Amino acid sequence: MATALLRSLRAAVGVRRTLSCVVAQTCSSPQYSGLRRGFHRAALLRLADDSKSNQTVPPPYHHERFQAQEPQKGSSFSSAEEASASDPDAQHEDPQPNTSYQDQSGEQAEDYETEDQLQARILTAALEFVPQHGWTVEAIAAGAETLGLSAASAGMFDNGAGDLVLHFVAECNSQLAKILAEQHNHIQLGHVEKKTTSEFLRDAVETRLRMLIPYIDTWPQAMSLLLLPPNIANSLKHLSTLVDDIWYYAGDRSTDLNWYTRRAALTGIYNTTELVMVQDSSPDFEETWAFLDNRIRDVVNMANTAKQVQSTGEAVVQGLMGAAVTIKNLTGMNQRR
Amino acid sequence: MAASLRGIPKKVLRFTNRRITSRTAPTAGVPLNRREPPTARNFSAESEPKDTHFGFQTVPEHEKAERVYKVFESVAQKYDVMNDAMSLGIHRLWKDTLLHVMNPQPGLQLLDTAGGTGDISFRFLEYAQSVRQRQLRQRARANQTPSWVEVAADYGKEAEPMESRAMVCDINKEMLKVGKERAERAGITSGVHWVVGDAEELPFDDNQFDVYTIAFGIRNVTHIQQALQEAVRVLKPGGRFLCLEFSKVSNPLLSKLYDAYSFQVIPVLGEVIAGDWMSYQYLVESIRRFPDQETFKEMMEDAGFFRVQYMNLTGGVVAIHSGFKL
Repeated sequence: MATALLRSLRAAVGVRRTLSCVVAQTCSSPQYSGLRRGFHRAALLRLADDSKSNQTVPPPYHHERFQAQEPQKGSSFSSAEEASASDPDAQHEDPQPNTSYQDQSGEQAEDYETEDQLQARILTAALEFVPQHGWTVEAIAAGAETLGLSAASAGMFDNGAGDLVLHFVAECNSQLAKILAEQHNHIQLGHVEKKTTSEFLRDAVETRLRMLIPYIDTWPQAMSLLLLPPNIANSLKHLSTLVDDIWYYAGDRSTDLNWYTRRAALTGIYNTTELVMVQDSSPDFEETWAFLDNRIRDVVNMANTAKQVQSTGEAVVQGLMGAAVTIKNLTGMNQRR
Repeated sequence: MAASLRGIPKKVLRFTNRRITSRTAPTAGVPLNRREPPTARNFSAESEPKDTHFGFQTVPEHEKAERVYKVFESVAQKYDVMNDAMSLGIHRLWKDTLLHVMNPQPGLQLLDTAGGTGDISFRFLEYAQSVRQRQLRQRARANQTPSWVEVAADYGKEAEPMESRAMVCDINKEMLKVGKERAERAGITSGVHWVVGDAEELPFDDNQFDVYTIAFGIRNVTHIQQALQEAVRVLKPGGRFLCLEFSKVSNPLLSKLYDAYSFQVIPVLGEVIAGDWMSYQYLVESIRRFPDQETFKEMMEDAGFFRVQYMNLTGGVVAIHSGFKL
């Protein structure tokens, strides 16, 4: 009990210090406005906790906001604590509140943004520097600087440029999934007619490949990064989720060998089209889309041909059986004595 | 160059007079726990002097800083030679690894605390310079035949790239003197600045530096937690803290060999080469008193660093701890 009191006292003292820092820094970091909002929320949550244990008087300039928000903060505090306790990447492994509030406002806001989210933001910001610097750590450093962080924070990414490429691929895939889901919705609601499978595949692959167009000059470097041993597992994972998503929205619900053959076929189509696109110099990549059309037609033809071969084979076998029975009849061997 | 320093150390003059004290000057809103020793956590404002370790001895806190100062004052001249002798030159590899982990891009500001003779700073400047040259070469290769449009666009747009800067801060003037002489001999004239300062109370403003390194220095600091908090203070948001320090060897066999080497060979080398047995006895004892990798990682997290990781070198003889101020 005594330790809990002491901890909350310490937290309050820490909060007071950080609040004074925040007041001093109000004009200095416009990029951090979002983070500061998070900080204020955090400060208020802590003040609510302190007042419950009747330890300290909250600082006067926060008093009226604190009063107005105390009732609901009481409940949201416990949910926030649960959320941060259950989130494995939240802040750092230390779950105790007493140590995190001596920090300055920038870190305080980390409670409301996990390290992963911050990393994602840095990588997204870094993408705009890729045409200039290529897929390298310099691009990440430049991206971090636009967010107001020092360029040294690019050291957070153990895999460096590989992380940047994987992030981009993941973002493109999730964007494609969103687009496909929307289209699916429209079809369900009846706004749009259903497309044939080959048309659907063609459109989906084209949409996905068009996302590469802004970075097409440096895409060969990205492809080579994806093939490096540390990255190859992740890149294959992203590719398989992409292909799976496309087939799912194309309506594939097969549970037999077709599942594998379809995905293998689409993987082949996607990879080869990507390679063609990288060295395509026609206006708006017309040759790439023509290549894509041909490949899809080939695959569909293969599927049809396979069916035909199978039915032809069955027909031939039946014909032979029929001929054998006829011959047996003619020679009188079929009679039952 | 000297006239246009940003982040000018404000308290340098004061420091030459009060270099010994480990008492902190109260700044606005310092929380109570900043005055705590690293081991006990209590809130009573201590008036009686607390004890701390100095190697395997126990000394009052205010004495430790003095005695550390004397140790380094006496070893300063032979510091680099002894480093090479004691570690068989491996310390160069450790420091090179630290730089590779840091991977500094050109234009960063480094604060090399307990930087002494400037090993880390010189390597930092070299690394940043080579990265910059590689960038320029790549840019030149890409621009072999610029079209007239590009030439016109780049005309008059040569932005001054930010120069990397290394600030070497040490509490000991003798070590800084040796460092300055080394810089002159190596011909490094711009980019390095030498400042006297206490790691527990750095003479710099907030949010000044991109990278803060402390190589083989933090175990000599009386209040390690305070030094970590000062590091948090002077780093920019997104800045990186790197600590290269002797740590616990996990392998028991290697540990026995290491202990034998430390206690039997190193003080003898100290006596033979530098004429100072006790300083090197202190050195190996202080290594044993430093917290191990996990404990130090927790201390860093307590101070407010995120994404704290450590890397063992040479089987745990040395560890690099890295954290970010986010």
